[in-house]
Amino acid sequence: MRQYPRWPIHLILLVVSALMLIPFVWVLKTSLSGENIFSYPPSLLPRDPHLFFYVDVWYTIPFFRYLVNSAVVSAIVVAANIVFNSMAGYALTRNFPAKRAMILLFLSCMMIPFQVTIIPAYLITKKMALLNSYLGMALPVCSTIICIFVFKASFEAIPKSLIDAARIDGLPEWRIVLRILLPLSKSAIATNVILAFIWSWNNFLWPLVIIRDQEMQTLPLGLSRFLTVVEDTTGALYAFCIMVLLPGLILFLLAQKEFIAGLTTGAAKG
Amino acid sequence: MAFANLDFFKRDRTRQLFLIWFFLAPSLIIFTLYRIIPLCWNGILSFQFWSPFGESKFAGLHHYEEMFFFDEVFWQVLGNTVLLMASAPIGIALALLIAILVDTRIRGRNVYRTIVFMSYPVMTVAVGIIWQWLYNEKVGLINYVLISLGIIEKGIPFLGHFGLALPCVILASIWQVIGFYMIILLTGLQNIEPALYEVAAVDGAGSWMRFWKITLPLLKPLLFLCFVIGIINSFTSFDLIFVMTQGGPAHATDLLITRIYTVAFKLSKFDYAAAMTVANFLFFLGLTLLANKLSGGEAGAVETER
Repeated sequence: MRQYPRWPIHLILLVVSALMLIPFVWVLKTSLSGENIFSYPPSLLPRDPHLFFYVDVWYTIPFFRYLVNSAVVSAIVVAANIVFNSMAGYALTRNFPAKRAMILLFLSCMMIPFQVTIIPAYLITKKMALLNSYLGMALPVCSTIICIFVFKASFEAIPKSLIDAARIDGLPEWRIVLRILLPLSKSAIATNVILAFIWSWNNFLWPLVIIRDQEMQTLPLGLSRFLTVVEDTTGALYAFCIMVLLPGLILFLLAQKEFIAGLTTGAAKG
Repeated sequence: MAFANLDFFKRDRTRQLFLIWFFLAPSLIIFTLYRIIPLCWNGILSFQFWSPFGESKFAGLHHYEEMFFFDEVFWQVLGNTVLLMASAPIGIALALLIAILVDTRIRGRNVYRTIVFMSYPVMTVAVGIIWQWLYNEKVGLINYVLISLGIIEKGIPFLGHFGLALPCVILASIWQVIGFYMIILLTGLQNIEPALYEVAAVDGAGSWMRFWKITLPLLKPLLFLCFVIGIINSFTSFDLIFVMTQGGPAHATDLLITRIYTVAFKLSKFDYAAAMTVANFLFFLGLTLLANKLSGGEAGAVETER
């Protein structure tokens, strides 16, 4: 193939990157300095950065409480997702009557966005007396169909002879899953951890519907509440934003390789 | 002896079946409880007069009649939802361009990929706050840039403007989801055999030709997958609207989902909101099936939920 000059590609990608990054940089800058674009001449770097707004957020609102709530819900969701999805994913690799029907059922459940079930889901949660609780927030997202299929694809990629050998050695099924299949499915696990964490950490509508108690609010609820009580130009709001989006970003940056690998096998074989 | 063996085999088989269903049970229970039952319940609720406090009564098509013939807001929010959906191809086209560029062998392509994808894992509520501020009339970055360039004289209240509010929200939503589209399309590009391009190049096909005849057809399933995700997004983007505009001004940015939330949980008209949900779901289902059919039946198999 002919070689093209590289610089136009770099130019376009640099512009795109700038468009993607500038909002982040600006928020970070404002959170560190409080100076808005009123400051002349405007600069990309904060002059005189300080952490006042972060301390401010920590003490003026129950930030720690929100953080604990978010962390507990996300921990439940991530743990439940790994266990339930790998179990279901393994079951779907086996042959059993009604297997096709089950796969069809799962696929059609995927066509029901959670948002369109919100009213009955609220009423059901109320009937189970789970309003205002961690479990109530976590339960609807404790298993996700796409991740079941990611696990299924990953398990199917493991040589069958390995599983048969273990079976002949008399290993019970659950130990086959635990000792052989899961350790060989690291990228599926990483994908599931990241997706489950991001979805539960960022989840807004569901907690908004079922949480009445301020004590039980999670970070997104706290953030949107904070927006209504403060002037939307103060540094504190943006410090809050940074504190809320850092965990998701860090987790993603640490595990992005496995994440993309897992997503690819899932998408290619799903 | 043979019988004993068969018996043993049978018992073993039963035990395995039990195990399989035991493994499936948790996920099945969750999906039944939070997907299947709610869907049916929505249907029932939409034919009833029902409130959290009173008795339920059969309503027939009353809610649907009100929705289709007397509720102007419903048509307005439906139109907004369709507009948001129609903007998906723009985002997908941009994502495709970026994906092709970061698929070339240039330096730092991994850095570019990471940067473009970075907006996806960010909390949508925070994205809403950031963009609300970028659009701010007095201190927003966008107005600042436009004024500095001399394009406008004084700040435009983007999100308070009836005609501009929705495009502005759509732009923010494209900004957030574009990295996700890019990753999906990139996996597709990497699965295309390089030999195909080489053969085509030998046969004298230009790069434009190669794009139309090789890249696009082979990416078709994934492009439709992206479109399905776009459809889902247009029905589920609640957070962004709630934070940025609360559906205003005058329902200019209200979507079906935000309207359903308001009607159910603010106005306590659960029955009417259920009817809207049913309409929403059927509309969504119809579109997805259509997209699925157009893509040759492959979008449904790999689509993502959010």
